[in-house]
Amino acid sequence: MITDTSKIAQLDSEGLSLRSVSLWQITWRRLFRRKSAVVGMVILGILILIALTAQWLAPYDPLQPLIGIEQISKRANPCIHLLGCPASEPQHIMGTDGNVRDEFSRLLYGARLSLMIGLTTVSFAIIIGTVLGALSGYFGGWVDNLIMRVMDVLLAFPSLLLAIAIVTVLGPGLQNALLAIGIVSIPTYARVVRASVLSVREMDFVSATRAMGGNTIQILFRRILPNALTPLIVQGTLGIATAILDAAALSFLGLGAQPPTPEWGSMLGAERNQVFTAPHLVFYPGFAIMLTVLSFNLLGDGLRDALDPRLAHIS
Amino acid sequence: MKRNLSVLLSLVVLASLLLAACGAPTPTEAPAATEAPAATEAPTEAPAAYEGLKVEAPDCEYGGEFKSIEAVDEFTVKVTLCVPDPAFPSKIAFSSFAIQPQEYLESTGGTGDLLEKPVGTGPYMVESWERGNQLVFTRFDDYWGEPAMNQTLVFRWGTESAQRLLELQSGTVDGIDNPGPDDFATIEDDANLQLIPRPALNVMYIGFNNNPQVEGFDNTTNPLANEKVRQAIAMGIDRQRIVDNFYPVGSEVADYFTPCAIPNGCVGDAWYGFDATAAKALLTEAGYPDGFETVLNYRDVVRGYLPDPNIVAQDIQAQLKENLNITVNIEVMESGAFLDAADSGQLQGIHLLGWGADYPDQTNFLGYHFGAGASKQFGDKFEDITSALDSGAQLASDAERAPFYEAANNAIKQHVPMIPVAHGGSAVAFKATVEGAHASPLGNENFSVTGVSGQDTFVWMQNAEPISLYCADETDGESLRACEQVTQSLLGYEIGGTAVEPVLAESYEPNADLTEWTFHLRQGVKFHDGSSLDANDVVTSLALQWDAASPLHKGNTGAFSYWSGLFGSFLNAPAQ
Repeated sequence: MITDTSKIAQLDSEGLSLRSVSLWQITWRRLFRRKSAVVGMVILGILILIALTAQWLAPYDPLQPLIGIEQISKRANPCIHLLGCPASEPQHIMGTDGNVRDEFSRLLYGARLSLMIGLTTVSFAIIIGTVLGALSGYFGGWVDNLIMRVMDVLLAFPSLLLAIAIVTVLGPGLQNALLAIGIVSIPTYARVVRASVLSVREMDFVSATRAMGGNTIQILFRRILPNALTPLIVQGTLGIATAILDAAALSFLGLGAQPPTPEWGSMLGAERNQVFTAPHLVFYPGFAIMLTVLSFNLLGDGLRDALDPRLAHIS
Repeated sequence: MKRNLSVLLSLVVLASLLLAACGAPTPTEAPAATEAPAATEAPTEAPAAYEGLKVEAPDCEYGGEFKSIEAVDEFTVKVTLCVPDPAFPSKIAFSSFAIQPQEYLESTGGTGDLLEKPVGTGPYMVESWERGNQLVFTRFDDYWGEPAMNQTLVFRWGTESAQRLLELQSGTVDGIDNPGPDDFATIEDDANLQLIPRPALNVMYIGFNNNPQVEGFDNTTNPLANEKVRQAIAMGIDRQRIVDNFYPVGSEVADYFTPCAIPNGCVGDAWYGFDATAAKALLTEAGYPDGFETVLNYRDVVRGYLPDPNIVAQDIQAQLKENLNITVNIEVMESGAFLDAADSGQLQGIHLLGWGADYPDQTNFLGYHFGAGASKQFGDKFEDITSALDSGAQLASDAERAPFYEAANNAIKQHVPMIPVAHGGSAVAFKATVEGAHASPLGNENFSVTGVSGQDTFVWMQNAEPISLYCADETDGESLRACEQVTQSLLGYEIGGTAVEPVLAESYEPNADLTEWTFHLRQGVKFHDGSSLDANDVVTSLALQWDAASPLHKGNTGAFSYWSGLFGSFLNAPAQ
């Protein structure tokens, strides 16, 4: 699995090496063969593009109420000139929200926020979870017991409930919501890493490193962890979807992103009472959340299948 | 061993229950025994045989308005005040001062059962309260007045206006409170529904904590302590834009704190006009040319004065950023915690709050908020405002009071403890078939005159569940409305209006300097438990709120906020 590059170079020069195909190249190929994963990647790609270029795509400032600037009422219906909306009216592809702000611009900026939320919380949880899981799996004994019992306690709470409790203590706000969601997702990653570390720990190459006098840190971070990475990637991709959903739920409840931040969950929550009078204000943010979560789930599922060695023969 | 213990325990519990059962009737029987002969001999020698209760303060130094409450005879109650109070009838008519039987109050100890099963004299009595689901009332057949239209009255609740409207449209409820402002047109266009606007006897304001030492500004001075900053904000917010865009029809921009329908509400100079340039200049003069950062607190609760809190808060946030470059961080708080923090002066920065009239008098608006006894909501008090209000409150006629309220309004405009924003119009909606449908400016719709002919049950859906049904110790309008169906005060307000009319007292008269008020009780009034109303019931019901040392002074939380808000300190209040 782990190959010393200098060795390979040496073997190459001697003409003895087979054409090596790395695990990642195989995975990549397998991933592209799965339609659902490709769909996920395409949606995600578009979302990332939108997030990166929101300031050029958005026709309006997402925070600017248009009262007094345009002849437009609050919660106006979508008006698209191409679809027959009279040119005398200002164009708002998704209408305006309760504060007379352009819904479409807010939605575009929301993509930036949602992706940021997903990536930061999961990175945070993966870093902490990996360290805890690795320590726990490698050392075993009371360290393992202590860390895993704490993780069990965290897992015993419904994750959203625990996040709400944490936010209540820290105070509402996007940063605190991110922290809360990060904390509640730690146990999953800690458990995944611990399980892989336990299985890799006993393998021959680890024993070899140990026999050659490698120290603990070397063994743990250079030998064991890179080989325990596969399940973590799958879990992380799926975890981003959960994190985005959790953040949207917290914002819906008013505990996450604070106004006037254009966050999809809070946009949805703010207009929940207008579900009959202005359904577009509930539909678009909801649809955006769904699409993002779907894309991560499709990609995550694809990755899992692609990385699974038991399915190797399929490729 | 364990079994022995539990047997012992249950024996002890049984014994204590028995003791309680035997013990309870003795105190309740005693007054009944003395009353019984009095009642039968009433035509001849009633006053002599009647043992009237009297609660009296040793002097007026304790800080409250009451001097004594006395049952003069079986049907006469006399209240003596320390200071003249022309608004006394309006105050005593409030539903917090409802009368319940003395025996019942004593048997409950002032809490417990009392919170869920009030025994009143009203047209409805409580049948059952399934917490979280519904509150059911039935008609009281021995009611002294016109019997209620419905055999059964049901209160339900839903916090979302969309949900309330849906229930009304589908016909599962007969009337709803506070339809969403955007739904007004839908209801008016629907031939099966009727929309009744509720007159705007309320105010929504942007409050400031002007205390320089307020928590959160430890290292720098609170910019809002600077009068010029507050004036700049007052000029830099376009209130017309807020009312035009975010309030329903029937709302108006508030140029004074008090609505104009209240006597002396709109005297003095009108509020600052919107002028962004002048505001910016004033802020620069105050030393904040680049603005500053502050917090905007509010509770996400829909009230008639604030139909869409989140939207209004965000518009204020956007206006302050645009006009004055003040960065506002919005912090939504839980309703109870928000009110507590506001009252104790712990809120930093700006807050959004409002006030609906309890009784139509300036003392309920300016007096309650800016008077000497007001809470610390706006930080430090202003001497010129408090002194003008103190003098005004003690005068009898509106004409005499006018100059003082004019001075108070002008001082408020100068100091800007808050910015009055809007008098919010709200509405109630009923099915078109409902007769006697009305909306009350005080929020106390009376469902004994509202019903559908040929239908036994009337279902009302409001914003929230009552907190308890002992309204002496509640301030929440959703609780008060439920209490008002069941219990009654000496006086009351006309249905759908604010005029004070006699209820349990047939008539009343003050002495010349308005310090002694004598109430003549209506005879033959029955409580829901079958007992008759007499003067001691009135004295007990009121004195237990007034006297903090009374064993019955318990209630739900023991705060009795309306009593202290309207009549000042409690008697025998524990030293702080």
